[in-house]
Amino acid sequence: MNEEEMRELFREMRDEPVPADSLARVRAAVDQRIQKRPWLSAWKIAAALLMAGCVVGAFLSLRPGKPVPIEQVSPPEIAQVLPVQVESPAPPKIPVRVASHPRRARPRPVVEGVPVSIRIETPDPDVVILLVN
Amino acid sequence: MHGIRGEAASSFDQVLRQREAQVLRTAFRILGNWADAEDVAQEVFLRLHRRGLVFANDAAAGGWLYRVTVNLCLDRTRSARPSQELSDIPSRERSAEALVLVEEKKQRLMAALALLPRKERAAVVLREIEGLSTAEVAEALGSSEVTVRSQISKALVRLRGILNREEV
Repeated sequence: MNEEEMRELFREMRDEPVPADSLARVRAAVDQRIQKRPWLSAWKIAAALLMAGCVVGAFLSLRPGKPVPIEQVSPPEIAQVLPVQVESPAPPKIPVRVASHPRRARPRPVVEGVPVSIRIETPDPDVVILLVN
Repeated sequence: MHGIRGEAASSFDQVLRQREAQVLRTAFRILGNWADAEDVAQEVFLRLHRRGLVFANDAAAGGWLYRVTVNLCLDRTRSARPSQELSDIPSRERSAEALVLVEEKKQRLMAALALLPRKERAAVVLREIEGLSTAEVAEALGSSEVTVRSQISKALVRLRGILNREEV
């Protein structure tokens, strides 16, 4: 059988009818399986919803409804350490000398015997006013 | 648009009736028996229904169906190794009539086809029997046109070798 003969046979095969019973079987099986599918998908949807409900329920149940009292944890007692009073060394005592006499204002010395004169010159050079004591 | 999703069941039925022969015939040529071909055809149309594909045109719908059909057939034949004998081919002496002789030749050719590597077989079925272009075959097989040409060329040489060996 040469190549041309093979091609010719292939071309004849192309036009061969498909057995009618095979076609009918395929059609029936496809129809049947498609009609089953809506129930299948309904079950899938129901299962998915149930699952989602469980998840939401679990979430809500775990979520606190009222505030949970939180136990106040008292801070650990810390021993109070009093500041140690360190006595500073006393300053050396310097004896305060008390003045034996109260301080008195020193009297202004009075200069006596010296004449005080004020000379006032006027615009007129010939006139000078002298104030003496 | 050649829609399937939008026009729902009636549209799907229409596609099923238009394309069932194509799908079944292709599957039969690759697999070599009607029972397996029917299983594959069912799966192809269920996938079509499930995906609800909307095709740009009739050729796109045909291409998608060829691709899925071939892939499912190749998956089925992945583990099965072809027998090395043409045991079920009737011998030439069984019939004298010309018509019967042609039928016999076709059967021998089909049996020889079953001995080819599965990708070569699919390429020959799509190109030589289904009459697709090389580009369409390449798309259906997910390979390049060069590869398809090479596969078909090798396949024809192999077929000739198988058939001539049997004739000797």
